[in-house]
Amino acid sequence: MIEAHPASGNTLNTHPVLSARDLRRAYGSTLALDGVNLDIRAGESVAIMGPSGSGKSTLLHTLAGIERPDFGSVLLSTSAATPRDIATLGEKERSKLRRESFGFVFQSGLLIPELTAVENVMMALMINGVPRAAAQEQATQWLGALGLAGMEERRIGQLSGGQAQRVAIARAQVTGARVTFADEPTGALDSATGAEVLSILLNSTVGRGNTLIMVTHDADVAAQCDRVIHLRDGRILAQVAATQGASTQRSAAGDTN
Amino acid sequence: MRTLSLAWLLGKPSRGRRGPLLLTAGAYTLVCALVLIVTAGALSFDRVQNELTGMYQVLAALAVVLLVVPLAVLGAAAARLSARSQDTRLSTVRLLGGTPGLVVGITMLESAATALAGALGGVLLYAAMAPAVGLVHFQGSAIGSAMWLDPRIIALVIAGVVLVAALSGAVGLRKIIVSPLGVRNRTVTPKPRWIRAVVVLGLIICISLVFSVIGSVASLAIMVGVLLTGFAMGIGALNLVGPWAVALIGKAKLKKAKSPAQLLAARMILENPAQAWRQVSGIAMTAFVAVVGGSGAALMNSTGTGMDPNSPDALLATDVMTGVLLTIAVSFISVACSTAITQAAATLDRADLYAGLHKLGMEPAVMERARVGSVMAPVIGMGIGSIIVSAALVFPLAGMAIIFAPLSVAVILLTLVVGVLAVRGAVAMTPVSQTLAH
Repeated sequence: MIEAHPASGNTLNTHPVLSARDLRRAYGSTLALDGVNLDIRAGESVAIMGPSGSGKSTLLHTLAGIERPDFGSVLLSTSAATPRDIATLGEKERSKLRRESFGFVFQSGLLIPELTAVENVMMALMINGVPRAAAQEQATQWLGALGLAGMEERRIGQLSGGQAQRVAIARAQVTGARVTFADEPTGALDSATGAEVLSILLNSTVGRGNTLIMVTHDADVAAQCDRVIHLRDGRILAQVAATQGASTQRSAAGDTN
Repeated sequence: MRTLSLAWLLGKPSRGRRGPLLLTAGAYTLVCALVLIVTAGALSFDRVQNELTGMYQVLAALAVVLLVVPLAVLGAAAARLSARSQDTRLSTVRLLGGTPGLVVGITMLESAATALAGALGGVLLYAAMAPAVGLVHFQGSAIGSAMWLDPRIIALVIAGVVLVAALSGAVGLRKIIVSPLGVRNRTVTPKPRWIRAVVVLGLIICISLVFSVIGSVASLAIMVGVLLTGFAMGIGALNLVGPWAVALIGKAKLKKAKSPAQLLAARMILENPAQAWRQVSGIAMTAFVAVVGGSGAALMNSTGTGMDPNSPDALLATDVMTGVLLTIAVSFISVACSTAITQAAATLDRADLYAGLHKLGMEPAVMERARVGSVMAPVIGMGIGSIIVSAALVFPLAGMAIIFAPLSVAVILLTLVVGVLAVRGAVAMTPVSQTLAH
């Protein structure tokens, strides 16, 4: 299993890694986002909840630079450099940002069926220019750390749903993504496997001082995050600090040590 | 009746299906036009009656037979594309209690209707091309008005194209599973077996023996007969060795892959070497026809120097060369069409994955390079491989052709290059970016 990053906060960083201001997005006459304002701090885990059509996935896609808002800004500050407004970047720049700074874990995994587990993970590094041998080494390490040692050469079809999601998590983390976006990452899994995958996802992201933003329908899954954002009709209804949140749990563990 | 009314209901072209439908109908248009032209050409040999008329008919029949394979491959690919492009509708039919038989019926009807529309377009294309093709010289004179077929034969060709399309529709459906929850590809991939290698070795020995006697054959007619026997065995060997050779190309590419696109392309080839082979089999067979037939024709042309140019033997030599060039051209057009259709289906199959990978930050250009590489690496590899193997098999013949008729050999090689470029153009017709735009 991935160990918690030594620098990971028992106290959350107050510096926002993503700041969304007045986000608006319409599909025809339907408003998917209607003036969303949101700050997400570095090292924080945030769950986005809401009924179907509330704008959850649109918000996730907009924060991740997959979609551009009709109006508003999304400032990203992952380094000491000046924050960048993702909403103003062109298609190529946003693609570059996604592969270099962000990690993604989707419900369907979106793994390439023809590739082996290790090739799926190393692909993320090779796209960023890492030579094949080095990429293979790092990918193998990540798969081993996520409990998939010995399964590197298996094709995706030869893995269980939970194992495939671990491969997707390894692919999202192998590039050192500072922010990981997850869309229903446990949605297709049974509850025991889902809990296991969620634990791995939290440990490999916020556990290493990075940020996790997750869309989910499952209140139990959301309760594992530091904060839960409730959306309805494209607006934020409420933001609740979850009691069982990952950072809170780590704080509690730190206090007892 | 229920199948017919459902097929009518489901067959209405929507915006998303317009592209695949046009592509499929367009492919049938070309195939029908080509079959009509080749049939007209074949039947035109009855114009002149001499001792070689039988030989002409055999060669013409061979050219027609050669066209059936790409037509069947094209039909199956078209049916798969047709089913893929309406997967949601077919799944809904299953969800509502429709039987697999009903789905097969709907697909066959739709394939037949598309083929009929395409074939009627093909008749128009044939009519437009006939005057130009009529200028081609065979047996010492232009084909001319012999290009115009009896309307009953045209009707027979249309019926044949529609029938093959409907049957291919059913065969194509065997490769996918239409369940109430969606359409997916069958994942059973037959692995090339070692027994094939043994059979191929046997065939190669036979072919070498056949061609070793060619030097001692005095009669031109027997020489052509020997060529045909070797040719048939060569095509058999190619079909057996093809998937295995494509897998070898894939493995070599995988070992050498440095970029994500190269890695992905190699894995796409290795995913199903038999399917990759089907897509390029036409190229390998055409290359074989080009080398064996072309060498023979070139040699016959050069040895015929000094012979009366209007003698039946001299005319046959010239005509075999013309026939080989036409066969290469027609074969490549069919292969290019099949490639366009197969790629359109493959791009539709992978639409969700492409969209997902784009979300992850993968540039469409990387996916495009992988897709193109997965088609063109086997095309080029198998094309060059076939030329080398064919030339080695008929070494004395090919060697003599290069020495005595270099210009003819160059023309054949140039035709092959143009053919490969046509396939490359066909691959470019369904770019990944088109999927992402949807």
